[in-house]
Amino acid sequence: MRDADAFSSLHPAVLFGYFVLIVGVNVVFMHPLVLGISFLGALAYAAYLVRWAGLRKLLPGLLIMMVIAALFNPIFNHRGVTMLFYWNDNPITLEAIIYGGVAALMIGSVLLWFVSYNKVMTSDKFLCVFGHVVPALSLIFAMVLRFVPRYFAQAKRIAAAQRGIGRDVASGSWYARARHGSAVLSIMLTWALENAVDTSDSMLARGYGLPGRTAYTDFKVRERDFMAALALGGSGLVVVVAIVAGVLHAEYFPAYAVGDWSVAAWLALGAWMLICAAPLLLGLREEAVWRSLRSNL
Amino acid sequence: MSTSVKTRLTWLFALVGIVAVITLGVLFPFDRNYYFIALAVITLSMLPFLAAFEGRKPEAREIVTIAVLTALAVAGRAAFFMLPQFKPGMAIVILAGVGLGRESGFVVGVLHGFISNFIFGQGPWTPWQMFSYALCGFLAGVFFSRSAERHSGFSSPLQKTLLIIYGALATFVIYGLLVDSASVLIWSSEFTWSAARAIYLSGIPFNAVHAFATAVFLTLLSTLIVERLTRLKTRYGLFQPH
Repeated sequence: MRDADAFSSLHPAVLFGYFVLIVGVNVVFMHPLVLGISFLGALAYAAYLVRWAGLRKLLPGLLIMMVIAALFNPIFNHRGVTMLFYWNDNPITLEAIIYGGVAALMIGSVLLWFVSYNKVMTSDKFLCVFGHVVPALSLIFAMVLRFVPRYFAQAKRIAAAQRGIGRDVASGSWYARARHGSAVLSIMLTWALENAVDTSDSMLARGYGLPGRTAYTDFKVRERDFMAALALGGSGLVVVVAIVAGVLHAEYFPAYAVGDWSVAAWLALGAWMLICAAPLLLGLREEAVWRSLRSNL
Repeated sequence: MSTSVKTRLTWLFALVGIVAVITLGVLFPFDRNYYFIALAVITLSMLPFLAAFEGRKPEAREIVTIAVLTALAVAGRAAFFMLPQFKPGMAIVILAGVGLGRESGFVVGVLHGFISNFIFGQGPWTPWQMFSYALCGFLAGVFFSRSAERHSGFSSPLQKTLLIIYGALATFVIYGLLVDSASVLIWSSEFTWSAARAIYLSGIPFNAVHAFATAVFLTLLSTLIVERLTRLKTRYGLFQPH
């Protein structure tokens, strides 16, 4: 299968680690600059992956979620020293409004990173990562993905056959339709379970569960996967250490304060910026290389 | 190392992990520590169940049966996508628990929550949905599977009615409360009662439709699925607890 872009062609383990790191920091660490950078990175990369047409469909829902997050905090959270006004006898504070804005950035960037996650971590890559750790569950996972489209096709066939003998799901009284619908479901279920027995017999015949069997994967670990893991892992370590050591620091209650701007803090922010921009940079770099090679031909 | 020792070690690991996470979170509070603690606790509490399933090296028939039920649940959610919250997934997860036992109820629940979100979008809510489905399926197995196995189906219409009531209540209370609590933690910095009340109240219509859908699908499907699953289970000697 063709990958969506250069970043997606990295080894699945690297990709999975990347998303765990980035969503983890987003969800746990509420820092306006960190989340702002992450939001911009997520927006740019999602826009690069799904283009404007894909993004246009997502933006309304995203904005609604962000507005709810921004309003939710000042309405229900009355901590903070700078009281602005009263709303329904409840004090609305500046700190809670700022916190709401940052929470909106958090929600927005997490949702946007998940847009990229859904595009990049396709199910085959997920299986590559977890096939060795949880073989039985991964096998079920792969089977379910295959069964779902197959069940839709079979349900259509059953419904057509039932229509042929006068049990149309789409016509008749409400009660008749429900009865015909459950007849289709019942046939469907019998078929699926019978099929399951055949499938498992076939699996046994091919030696399922014998010792020494391996999990097939199409992905190879290449040199650039090591490079990417090293670069991203190193930057990630810098960011996590900076957060745990309190170098990057943001406080909202009782008063809003964003940590002192030491060299170390800027260094950590730079590392975070590199992490957030990496997928897009890789993609753009590959496109530039491709164009320059083509024009030389 | 034998399977049961490994399973026990996983339990120990999860318990120690949960206690450690809560202690650390309380001793060294950080931003959004409530969200992080809750996420860590539910993830860790799913591990022993999945490790036990994985560790006993399930047979091919068990694997395919679980895949069939999960696929039906996922396909059902996709088939009813135009009716928000009216989805058969929970009913099928519960019936997996009744027909095959609590372990299978748990596994089908986890997988349904996880895989259906590949179609409907993964997000910070996924672990909570997985855990809530799994818990409802597990409890259905605890309450109903022994009687279903003994009678190869429902012992009486009363038993079926009880299952339908359980399904509606579990969906409304367990699933609704857990997933809505996740929303509170996702959206606000801490768990305040006024914020929680607002989310719970606005969640009532959605949870009510979901509970109603579960009751409807349990009414339509339960006799059929439970009979077939218990038959499969006794005929091939599957899903026997060790």
